[in-house]
Amino acid sequence: MRKAISDVGCGELANRICRERCGSYLTTSYIFGIFCLATYSTLAAEPAPPGPFTETECITCHTERDPNLIRQWREGSHSADSGIGCSNCHGENHKESAIIARKDQSCTGCHEGPASHSYSTSKHGIITRLEEARQDWRQPLQRGNYRTPGCSYCHLHNSDHGDTMAPDRGPEVRQWICAGCHSPRYVRELFANGNRQLEIADLKLTEGESLIASAVDDQTDALPKLRKSLNHHRHNVLLGIAHQSPDYQWWHGQPALDGDLIRIRDRILQSRRRKSLADNLEE
Amino acid sequence: MRNRIIIPLIITLLAVPAGFAYVHWSKGGTGTGLYSRYWSPDPVQGYWDPANFYQSPDSVQGIFAGEQCVQCHEGITPGIVNDWRASRHAQREETVYCNDCHGNDHQQLRLPTPDVCGNCHAKQHDEFRDEARYGFPSHVLAMERAVDAKHFVDKPKAEVQSCVQCHSVATKCDSCHSRHRFDAAEARRPEACITCHSGPPHPDDETYFASAHGKLYLAEGNNWDWSKPLTKGNYKAPTCAYCHMDNGRHQVAEKSLWKFGLREINPHTSKNQVLRKKWIKLCSDCHEEEKARQWLTELDQERKQAWQKLYMAEAILKDLRSDRLLQPAAGERPPYPMDWLDSLWPRERIGFFEGQASVFYNVSAIERDYFEMWYFDNLGAYKSAAHSNPAGVEAGHRKMVASLDRIETQANELRKLSQAEKKAEIRIKPSGDLWMKGAYTDYNREHN
Repeated sequence: MRKAISDVGCGELANRICRERCGSYLTTSYIFGIFCLATYSTLAAEPAPPGPFTETECITCHTERDPNLIRQWREGSHSADSGIGCSNCHGENHKESAIIARKDQSCTGCHEGPASHSYSTSKHGIITRLEEARQDWRQPLQRGNYRTPGCSYCHLHNSDHGDTMAPDRGPEVRQWICAGCHSPRYVRELFANGNRQLEIADLKLTEGESLIASAVDDQTDALPKLRKSLNHHRHNVLLGIAHQSPDYQWWHGQPALDGDLIRIRDRILQSRRRKSLADNLEE
Repeated sequence: MRNRIIIPLIITLLAVPAGFAYVHWSKGGTGTGLYSRYWSPDPVQGYWDPANFYQSPDSVQGIFAGEQCVQCHEGITPGIVNDWRASRHAQREETVYCNDCHGNDHQQLRLPTPDVCGNCHAKQHDEFRDEARYGFPSHVLAMERAVDAKHFVDKPKAEVQSCVQCHSVATKCDSCHSRHRFDAAEARRPEACITCHSGPPHPDDETYFASAHGKLYLAEGNNWDWSKPLTKGNYKAPTCAYCHMDNGRHQVAEKSLWKFGLREINPHTSKNQVLRKKWIKLCSDCHEEEKARQWLTELDQERKQAWQKLYMAEAILKDLRSDRLLQPAAGERPPYPMDWLDSLWPRERIGFFEGQASVFYNVSAIERDYFEMWYFDNLGAYKSAAHSNPAGVEAGHRKMVASLDRIETQANELRKLSQAEKKAEIRIKPSGDLWMKGAYTDYNREHN
């Protein structure tokens, strides 16, 4: 049985290349070996100090080592919008800093409520929870390394410190991540259905907005409250689709939007009736 | 005298085959179920109901042996190959390969249905199929229940895909035995159920986790040996599967006494006495029989109180209907596409068995409140009572009282308004087309 690349070590890989491609790749394997050694000795020469570190220290050092990663973080919403730095997810020490950040708990401290509940009740969420103790969290966030995706697997795939699920990354990136386990056709169909579900939720929003706009006489806070509720439930539909939670797509989403529309209409009907009664009394 | 026998006999002889022929005809459309002629599936539905809608891919040509599937998919979809390797399918001597369930021909691949799993797992499959005898609600009839619901037929099929995701528990085995590990130990844990058994109408997750049983599970469950069968003495606290699938029996509806809390039942019929004995026997795996009997009585009492409140709400709504105070009136609402009777005789549907489960849209606000009281508050209270979570019972009943208050207040206001209109000699202004038009409402009308 063929072994996955990630399952074999550096030396074994070089040996295998040497053995399988006998002779012609001999030089390559030597170069590969030297590369491995060089990498090892560099790391050995500069072992990462244990910490703790301040935010500035993390950034100074890692700007040199992983400029790309720092750039992604700077451009991403964590840094740009919220001022979330390294230690918020990684802790202040080097030891197990990647493992800490890869686990769902590093996200759910801030992303609570529907955002995390829609995920934690999804199939991905529950299996990740059940497998937590068995999962090897030292593995990079790449396909084949995790039984189910945790928050970081999708949103920081391949340690990309921007959000790999952000809308501006485009559907291809998202589809590639899902397709590490699911058939590409299934992923495409699921995405297409998700888009249709969202379009439907948006039609409900449009319907609600135009009803509210028609109720110029209503000066109470009832309709603004219902508008807020519409937007909240539309967001639930999005979370339900993104995290594959049937409950958020449905009970917290579409029928909840239907309820908002009913209540907006009822409000309008009642005020029309009251108004015509008042007009009649004036006459 | 002769005519009295012959005429009904002839009518019966004609009507019964005609009925069968009609049902057969009605199931022959592009969808499935009783209203199959009124809807067509969303493309993704093939993945939730493979027996009826799955279409094999045409991307790859060829006939492959199991090891070839694995070799190729190791690169394409490594996640599922790893999962399969860790499964008993891969680890047993006579390996169960991809092609054993999906087929060899890549252009004729199938998504495994319960029948495919049943080729080897005959006992579980037979039990699962046999669950149909308990009627609704049950796992095996869940898809039927979904597609025969009026809102499923009416609403755009892309929207109601969220329904079939959970209702696919009838059409696939991986709702509980997640692919491609299919681990019985995983399916025994409460988490295997909660993707579907959560949310307002069935908060089984919250109510169980808040109970003494659930708390014990949350504190210690990770250390229990889940490879053990669901039998007496193997688990320190009961889980969903321990009670609802005791001894691994694949029939969750087997002991269903209160039918999900959806309808009022007589808990003491001879049939239900048998079920009560089964529950008492199960609880007595750990508790004294007398205690179990007492808990069942408490559940009966909780249900009685819940139904008293629900019937009060129902009476208010029926009175409003009799006095023609429900606005919009039935004729001023978008009708269901298959309900031709509605267009001849429009009637507001009040009552828990008059299609009430579909009454969450296109109705008046007071009817929606009534729906939420029944479907959310009541079911929350029921689940809490059944899972021994007293705080949840209290909260559920508090919500029901609040809903009932709101319904009463609204009804009084509707009456007052109508009286004032009568006094001022205003003919009650019908809601006109307020319920009939809108971006979504128009789209919905066009898309079944």
